Amino acid sequence: MKRKIRIAIPSKGRLNPPSIQTLQNAGINILRKERTYISETSDPRFEIIFARAFDVPIYVQYGAADLGITGHDIILERQAEVHELLDLGFGKCQLVVAVTENLDAHSVKDLPAVARVATEYPNLSQKYFENAGKQVEILVIRGTAELAPTLGLAQIIVDITETGETLRRNKLKVLDTVLESTCRLACNKIAYRVFENEINELVDKLRGGGLTE
Amino acid sequence: MFKFQDFDGKIVALRAEMTTPAVRILTTKMASTPKPIRLFYISNVFRYSQSYLEREREFWQAGIELIGCNTPEADGEVLSLLASSLKKLGLKELRIDVGHAGLLKNLLKATGLDKEKKSVLQGLLGHRNEEQLKKFMNQNNFSSELKEAFLQLSSCRRLEDLSSVLLKSSRYRKTRNYLKALLEVKEALANYGVEKLVFFDFSLVRKIEYYSGIVFEASVPNLGLPLGGGGRYDNLIEKFGKLKMPATGFAVEIEKCLKALTAQSFQLPEEGKVKVLVTSRFRDTAVKAVNVIRNADVVALLDLKKSSKKEILKYAKLNEIDYAVFTDSSLEKPALIYNIKLDTAKNMTIKTFLKNVKKGDF
Repeated sequence: MKRKIRIAIPSKGRLNPPSIQTLQNAGINILRKERTYISETSDPRFEIIFARAFDVPIYVQYGAADLGITGHDIILERQAEVHELLDLGFGKCQLVVAVTENLDAHSVKDLPAVARVATEYPNLSQKYFENAGKQVEILVIRGTAELAPTLGLAQIIVDITETGETLRRNKLKVLDTVLESTCRLACNKIAYRVFENEINELVDKLRGGGLTE
Repeated sequence: MFKFQDFDGKIVALRAEMTTPAVRILTTKMASTPKPIRLFYISNVFRYSQSYLEREREFWQAGIELIGCNTPEADGEVLSLLASSLKKLGLKELRIDVGHAGLLKNLLKATGLDKEKKSVLQGLLGHRNEEQLKKFMNQNNFSSELKEAFLQLSSCRRLEDLSSVLLKSSRYRKTRNYLKALLEVKEALANYGVEKLVFFDFSLVRKIEYYSGIVFEASVPNLGLPLGGGGRYDNLIEKFGKLKMPATGFAVEIEKCLKALTAQSFQLPEEGKVKVLVTSRFRDTAVKAVNVIRNADVVALLDLKKSSKKEILKYAKLNEIDYAVFTDSSLEKPALIYNIKLDTAKNMTIKTFLKNVKKGDF
């Protein structure tokens, strides 16, 4: 018998509930036992592993998982060589450049030539500021980049936002959008060759399950 | 690639693969060797990997190059050698996916798209998503002939499917020749009896720039990364000097093969060598006994510490040693021999002991 096809999904955070729901709509119910990282599903061909959303692209690229659900922004940030098979529609967000409200700047052009940027997205930030012709020093922060300006750690942050609410609450204003993102179904390149039929069937079912475009 | 500055200011780099060094040696030292030349290597190479699942920076590769020949027979030989080498390792469910760097490059060029759109197209070909591919081609005003060719090539899963791809206009003559060559390679593979393992993937590209013809990757379902791969590089050798020669080859990643074998629960065959620990109150006979035993092609260790009997037996057990030998004052006199696994002891001369061990007795 062929081995099971492994799907990596975010173990917690905002992407976890809709990931589980989307799979459920496609007929894959996760039979989760407490304290396990690998779960069986109602479809014996698939099993689920729970991973950090940021690690999902790497799991998929290196074949620790065959498929993965995670943000387009995260796939690009991790520079993972994977197939993005499907836009799952949920997890809509923007990666934005933001600064403190009282800073006299209306666009990225107005920023000082040399500045410090706090972000969870060092690769995308580096590329963005290079294109903008700004020399920046990048501080990699996990989770709470929006605190950095208040603490005087960095003048600029690059972070994701859904509604802009957290940014406003931290007295930050958006200068530019680096990219728009949604959740994707990522696929390992070899797994896509080996399990092409099973994976395409899943893709069809995910489409049929009504994605929130 | 790892690059750094030498003491005289020159930039030096660690080799990231072996084909380029092999070609360099070929052009300087083997220029007059009759062609075709068949080379092999087993060597370490150095690459950066961003993954923490793969922390290594040094990798071992085993590879071959077939130089001075561009016939379908040469491509067939290289592909079948890759298949048989990996099968011989004990790998199961092996597959080799084949693409063609020239074919893909030519057709991408024929689209007239800019670099960015070309990479979008390549992504779509990789997903093999017909619907999205059609949409993209319509948006970008592909000619109906080119559209048809992309759709057909994208749906080909086997080399023989390529016979149905039609490209009639004269501007695609080169492309047609590539397709013809691939079909001839398929014939050669059938003769070698490996055609069932070989698949076609129009979108397959290797990260290395120098490939000009057929390219391929070997994989098994248990490992998400290719075990190895290679292809034809007909324009690389001329870059090193006057020689202009077609060539092809492959490299297999040894660590990845080991990982795949482990994932397939492969068991290494038992080593089967008998190990003996020798000790004595008489130092000279112990040393002599070690020599005699080693000359009989049995692994012998000398107790270096004049340990007690209890210590010897414990050490032997912990180190998976088969026998402990306590020699007397001369080799002719019977020695006391413990079989550690069976926990039994017998008196016999070293000569008799060796005879028995060879027979598998005691």
